[in-house]
Amino acid sequence: MLELYRHELFGSFYSWRGAAWIIGASLIFSLVSYLLLTDKELSLLDQGEMLFNLAEVIVALGIIMSAANASSTISSEIESGTFESLLLVPISHKQIALQKLYSIITIWIFLYIVSIPYLIVVASGTTLALAAIVYTGVYGTLLITGISLISIAISAKLKSSKNSIMTILMIVLILLAPSIFFASSLKKTNFGTILESINPMSHAVNSLDSVLVDTEQSIFQQIDHIWPIVAFTLICLLIFLVYTRRFEIKGSE
Amino acid sequence: MNDNTNSWCFGKIQDNSISTLELTKVYGNFRAVDSLTIDIRSGDIVGFLGPNGAGKTTTIRMLCGLISPSKGNAMIAGLDVVKDNLEIRKIVGLLPESSGFYSWMNAEEYLLHFASLYKIESHIAESRTAALLKKVGLANKSFAPISYYSRGMKQRLALARTLINNPRIIFLDEPTLGLDPKGQQDIQEILLELNKSKNVTIFLSSHAISEVSSLCNKIAIVNRGKLIANGTIEELRKLSGDSNDLVYITVFNSQNTIYALSKLPADIVIRYKVNDTDRKFKTFVVDPKHGDISLNEIMKSFDKVGLQICEIRRVNIGLEEIFFKLTEKRRSKANYNINQQDDLPFGMEKQ
Repeated sequence: MLELYRHELFGSFYSWRGAAWIIGASLIFSLVSYLLLTDKELSLLDQGEMLFNLAEVIVALGIIMSAANASSTISSEIESGTFESLLLVPISHKQIALQKLYSIITIWIFLYIVSIPYLIVVASGTTLALAAIVYTGVYGTLLITGISLISIAISAKLKSSKNSIMTILMIVLILLAPSIFFASSLKKTNFGTILESINPMSHAVNSLDSVLVDTEQSIFQQIDHIWPIVAFTLICLLIFLVYTRRFEIKGSE
Repeated sequence: MNDNTNSWCFGKIQDNSISTLELTKVYGNFRAVDSLTIDIRSGDIVGFLGPNGAGKTTTIRMLCGLISPSKGNAMIAGLDVVKDNLEIRKIVGLLPESSGFYSWMNAEEYLLHFASLYKIESHIAESRTAALLKKVGLANKSFAPISYYSRGMKQRLALARTLINNPRIIFLDEPTLGLDPKGQQDIQEILLELNKSKNVTIFLSSHAISEVSSLCNKIAIVNRGKLIANGTIEELRKLSGDSNDLVYITVFNSQNTIYALSKLPADIVIRYKVNDTDRKFKTFVVDPKHGDISLNEIMKSFDKVGLQICEIRRVNIGLEEIFFKLTEKRRSKANYNINQQDDLPFGMEKQ
């Protein structure tokens, strides 16, 4: 049933080059944690803020890795000529796309598991560790599932790895823009408010801030942030279902 | 012959047969396949010929369920290509024109991977993989990464993958493209053996006319998406015209050669010119419009217009000739190229 999933996952871990991402991710987490705990200026931050920064890095890294992986998952098969043989096996096209999605989410889960010790270390001495682990996991999984779903749909539609990676990175950048580029004054304008209210990434960032910095850890206090993220994931699922219903190859593809 | 509309029994043919009815694929304004109707019996080896862009690959993809027809329908072993898409994929094998591979795998892993996708039990998959690797001549290289394989080795591996699910119907799109003569022969032998031992229906799209004429018992010719002929080579020969022979004539070259050719009687048609290594001579392929015209009459006609013949011979019209005749394409035989400097148009017929 999950033969393709196993194949995809095995391909991601096959050689040291394939698994380099997990080493890279560990190095990034180590560096960020080390800086947060030892750097003179960063160590002055409230511990909740340190955790918030680390959680942001974990989710952002997961999103970028999943987006890059998912946006080439179909198109790279088309480009390398393996897709035609794959479509010939008696597995529905939706199953092919879904099994590819499962492998991408599994990689996020690996990344998330690797990040847990770092969250625990940075949260040591506070009661924030569990909240940081749970909320990072929930928001990361929802956002990464959504981004991966839409990335696979784009990959299937554009059939070009270069174009689909560029498109999805642009989408990710637009989603991250309010959190990264918008000054506080811009966020307070009508435009900024509307953009923040519909942007799932902004909701995730604001919620993590609320949970870890303001210690509003109850799910009821975060429900206003959670439902837009769930809605985003569902919209992405809908797009995914439309574009992966049937793959067709044309001409010399 | 191309009389399928009369013998059509759509949906009733079983076993390993292929039937299409008005099968059409349209991309925008372009009709890649146009109302293709064909019946292929179980156990036939069918050569599917046509110039580039004739719709061969699109037809194969529709028959394998890879793309949906815009109009019409097709049945594979009694299964509808649209409704029974998944079932069809279990019983067909396709060797595409260019196969891609997971280069980080070796041949054994690659075949086992596909066996698992076809849900073949692992012990059967292992024995079948070993047998196929032996059959295609890769048994002693099965543990080398595919990235180290040559084009020919990859094509052999692709054939093994095509056969991993024991297909009842095999579609091959240019199977011997880029293979050395030994590789071509090996693949042909494997296909013939499968056809004889398991009554596998083979649908072979190829530009290698010699391969088609040696392997296939039926030939279908498509041009611009339309089926223009279909039948045995004898049937196609009759369909292509009333002549069974072509005459090769070599004349001494002179400044007036082309002009003199234009003065030949209407029942002698210059089909094309053959490149001569020696500029002193010019060789033409003459297609007598009436099959019973004798060499003597041709020689007299040439003599009358002042062309001095140094060699004349009659040859049987082959599949290549039939193909060119039926597709009305400019001749470009492998061994004989049109000399463009001579401005002698193909099929220069005098009215």
